Amino acid sequence: MKTKKRSEFSKLPSGDKTLLIIAYAILGLFLVAIILPIIYIILASFIDPVTLQNSGLTFDFSKWTLTAYERVLGNSQIWVGFKNALIYSILFTIISVVVTLLAAYPMSRADFKGRGFFNTIFVITMFFGGGLIPTYLLISNLGMLDTIWAILIPGAFSVWNMIIARTYYMGIPRDLQEAAEIDGATEMVYFFQILLPVCTPIIATIAMWQFVGMWNSYFDAMIYLNSASKQPLQLVLRAILIQSQPEPGMVSDMQSTAARAQLAELLKYATIIISSLPLMIMYPFFQKYFDNGIMAGAVKG
Amino acid sequence: MASVQLKNIKKVYPYISGEDKKKNKKKNADEPEKKINLQITDEGVVAVQQFSLDIKDKEFIVLVGPSGCGKSTTLRMVAGLEEISGGELIIDGKVMNDVAPKDRDIAMVFQNYALYPHMTVYENMAFSLKLRHTAKEEIDKKVREAARILDITQYLERKPKALSGGQRQRVAIGRAIVRAPKVMLMDEPLSNLDAKLRNEMRAEIIKLRQRIDTTFMYVTHDQTEAMTLGDRIVIMRDGYIQQIGTPQEVFNHPANLFVAGFIGMPVMNFFDAELKREGDKFFVVLSGLKVQLDEKKTARLLKNNVQSQPITLGVRPEHTNISDKGVPAKVDVSEMMGSSVHLHVDADGHDVIIIVPILDMEDNYNYGDLVHFTFNGNVAHVFSKETDKNLEY
Repeated sequence: MKTKKRSEFSKLPSGDKTLLIIAYAILGLFLVAIILPIIYIILASFIDPVTLQNSGLTFDFSKWTLTAYERVLGNSQIWVGFKNALIYSILFTIISVVVTLLAAYPMSRADFKGRGFFNTIFVITMFFGGGLIPTYLLISNLGMLDTIWAILIPGAFSVWNMIIARTYYMGIPRDLQEAAEIDGATEMVYFFQILLPVCTPIIATIAMWQFVGMWNSYFDAMIYLNSASKQPLQLVLRAILIQSQPEPGMVSDMQSTAARAQLAELLKYATIIISSLPLMIMYPFFQKYFDNGIMAGAVKG
Repeated sequence: MASVQLKNIKKVYPYISGEDKKKNKKKNADEPEKKINLQITDEGVVAVQQFSLDIKDKEFIVLVGPSGCGKSTTLRMVAGLEEISGGELIIDGKVMNDVAPKDRDIAMVFQNYALYPHMTVYENMAFSLKLRHTAKEEIDKKVREAARILDITQYLERKPKALSGGQRQRVAIGRAIVRAPKVMLMDEPLSNLDAKLRNEMRAEIIKLRQRIDTTFMYVTHDQTEAMTLGDRIVIMRDGYIQQIGTPQEVFNHPANLFVAGFIGMPVMNFFDAELKREGDKFFVVLSGLKVQLDEKKTARLLKNNVQSQPITLGVRPEHTNISDKGVPAKVDVSEMMGSSVHLHVDADGHDVIIIVPILDMEDNYNYGDLVHFTFNGNVAHVFSKETDKNLEY
C-alpha cells in the first residue's frame, strides 16, 4: 500500500508535488491546533490542580485525581441538566428538520407561484432580527416564558438550513420526479417516499448542526427559563463553574481562595469533557448517513 | 393498447417577463443564425406547432429529428409532463389535455433511466403497482414476469448502482411494462448506451414489442433506430412535422430536401441540376449527363404539371454507380466498410459519396483518380429550388 502511494506521488508533476506537500503541512498544522488542546484538556481534567499549576502536565499517576469528576457528577443538578439537554436537543432537532425540509420543498419547485415573494421574506430575516428585548417580550406575550417551547420554537426554522436543503433538492434530477408522477405518485408520496430517502446526507447534516447547536447553547435557556428543573446541561455547568470561582472581595481567607481557584480550573476541564462526550459519541453514528453515493445509479451521470 | 390522436397540437413556452422577451428579441437580432431551431413569436418560444397525427392501436410510431425539433416536447405532452398550449390530445377516445399523467394509463422510459436509487430493482418495478394498491401476489407475479421477459431476474434484489448501463435501462423498461400501459412512451431510451449495447437493446425492443403488444411512441434522433423500429416514422424539424410515413416511404419518397438529407446513411448526394420536360417525358441534366426519369416519376410530375426548371437533384450513395461514362469526379477518400467501399469523390466542387460493393470493384481507388458516375431514372429525386419540396408530391 505504501509503495503504491509513494509511486502515485512520484508520478505527479513537481508543481503538484509542492502544492500537495504545502496542503498537507497546512492541514497538519490545523490538526495539531485542534488535537493538542483536546489532549491537554483530557489530561488536565485528571491532574491535581496544584501540580498542574506548578509543573504542568505529568504522567506521575500519583498526582492524578478524579476530584473534578466526582464533584461534577456528584451534583444532582447535572443529571437533571443532562436529561433536559437531551430532551431539548432531540425535540429541537426533530422540529427543526421537519420544518426546514417542508419549507424547502415548495421553494425548490420552479412551478410554485409566489416563490420569489417568499424567498424575499425569508432572506430579509437573515439580515434583520428583532433584537433581544423585542424577542423576549414576544416570547413573554405568547406565554412561553419558563416553558420548553421558548427553547424549541423560536430557533426551529433556520433560513440558512432551508436554503441548503432547497439547493440540495434542486440538485435531484427532475426525471426522478417525472418518473414518479407517471408511476402514479402524488406530491406527498414523491416527497416522503422518493425525495427524502435520497436526501439523507443533507437531512443528517442539518440534524447534526441543529443537535450540536442546541446541545451547546445556554443563552436562550438563561434568558427564558427560570426553574432549575428546566435548565439544560450547559447552564448547570456554567452555574457550577461560577459557584467555584473565588468571589472578588473575599480576601480574608487566602487559603480557601486559592483552593477554590484551583478547583475552578479543574472543574473547567472536567465540564468541557462531560459536555462534549455525548457529541463525540454521536458523530460516528451520523457518519454513515453522509454517503455521497446515495444518488448513484439513479440517472446516467 | 389504445389509439392516440394528436390534433393540431401546439406548445409555446411563454416569456417569463416582458424583459426576457425584449432580451430575446435583441439577442436574436444580433445573432440571427441562432434562430434556426426556435420560433420566436410574441406569445413566446414555439416548440411544436400544427402537430396532427393519428396513431393506431398497437402501432409503433417513431418521432425523429435533430436536437430542438420538438420531438421530446411532443412526447412529454402526451405523457402529461408538459402542458398543451393548443390542440387536442385524445387517448382511447378520451380527451386527455388536462388529465394528470397518472390517470392517462401511460408509461414512460426516460433517456437517463430515472430509477429510484434507494430502492432495489424489484421495488423500482413494483412501485407503480403498489401505488395502485395491487395485491401483493399480483405485484410479485407481474414483476417476475417482466423481469423474465427482460432477463433481469437475477438482479431483482440489487440496487441500481450495482447495475451496468444496459441493465439499468432494462429495469427502466421493466418498470414501464409491469403496468401493461395503454401507451408506452420512450424518450431516447438507447442514446446513453454504447454502440454495441444500443444494437442489442434495439433488437430487444423489437422482441419486446412482439411480446407486450401495446401502442408505442418512441423518440430518437438516430435515423437508424427510427428506420428499424417504427411502423411509421414522423420526421420533425423546428416544431413542424416534415413527413409521416413508413420507413420505406420516407426512404424512397422523401417529401422534401430535409427528409431526404436526414433519412439514410450515408446521407443523400445533392447536386444543382436541370429538370427538362420534353413533351410527356422528363429528363434530369447534370454536367452533360442526361437521364430520363422512369414512368412512375414521370406520371407524378405530369400530374403536378411540373415544367422545366433548375432543381436540386438528390441521389442516394447506394444508387450512384461508377461507370465508364457519366459525371466526371476525382477520388478524395476511399473508406473500406467491409462488404463495400464508401468512395468520397469531388464532382465540380461537390462532395459526392458512392457506395461500391466489394464484388463490383475492379481496382483500388487512390486519391486523385478520375472516375465517372451515373444513376438510373427511377432513383433520382427532384426537389424544387425555391421551396425545397419534392416536385413529385
